[in-house]
Amino acid sequence: MPYYEKSEDWLHQSSLLLQARPSTTRLTTRYHIKPARRVSKKKSESAAADAAPAPAAAQDEKPPRGHLELKTYDPQSGVTLKYKTSKAAEVTRLIQMLGQLGRGMAGLPPVQKKEVVEAGAGDVEMVDVGEEKAGASGAAAKSGTQTPVAAGGQGGEAGKNKKKKKGKR
Amino acid sequence: MNHLTHDEFFTALTTLFPTKSSPKGTIILSQKRFTFPQQEKSENPLADLNPSDPLPLIIHATNAKSKSSREKGHPRTKLSTIVQPDELEGFYAKYAEVCKAGMSGFLKPRDRTKRKAKAKGKKKKTTTVAA
Repeated sequence: MPYYEKSEDWLHQSSLLLQARPSTTRLTTRYHIKPARRVSKKKSESAAADAAPAPAAAQDEKPPRGHLELKTYDPQSGVTLKYKTSKAAEVTRLIQMLGQLGRGMAGLPPVQKKEVVEAGAGDVEMVDVGEEKAGASGAAAKSGTQTPVAAGGQGGEAGKNKKKKKGKR
Repeated sequence: MNHLTHDEFFTALTTLFPTKSSPKGTIILSQKRFTFPQQEKSENPLADLNPSDPLPLIIHATNAKSKSSREKGHPRTKLSTIVQPDELEGFYAKYAEVCKAGMSGFLKPRDRTKRKAKAKGKKKKTTTVAA
């Protein structure tokens, strides 16, 4: 279950997975708020004191922090791709990404300008089929070894991502 | 399960987000191609890769209340709506709006250091709105 550092990487890999398995892949967005962390000393003090100073102590505490996690999951091959953020500035961009991926899911061409893509549809389809076959077989093979990296000819990139993560841990 | 119209879905989704008064909780949103099992089990295993007609999407939203919290009187809410391919653009524009409004309150604003957050708790809110 790789977490990607950049949302663009997540988008790219997810779009490849969607190309390979458009009917089974699902996108999940989880927005979660963790309650504020409390310093144990303060807690005991405020608990010992009256109820009145408690709100003041609460103001000193860190505000509760929300986290936004995007997950692309294909139950057939077991591929899971994740991205996590806590930055408000990214929300709109991430929802737009969901929209882009939604187009692929619906079977629409990925580019916003429909007419242009339809004009060159023949070429696009040929390329797609090739990638999809590679993706499907790659994903199936990988699901057995429990290393769910994105489908389709991106072995090099995915490998790099993995190495980076190991280094940071 | 009844599918809501887009407007009903967004109205209900807005109420699902945690508020300043109760800053806790989870929302899970999901999207998937809307197909029936029979359609998925066609003879050609690659038939779904290039569908002749674009297919609709189904969007789910839930507040994911666990059994223990449901027993404490917090009901689980489940919403779902179907988006036709031609409505995708409009839907996601509104979706982004609703999600941003509901989520940004507890996410990090753009220019924020840890010290600032402690010293200027109130200013942080204004920057969030501006951003």
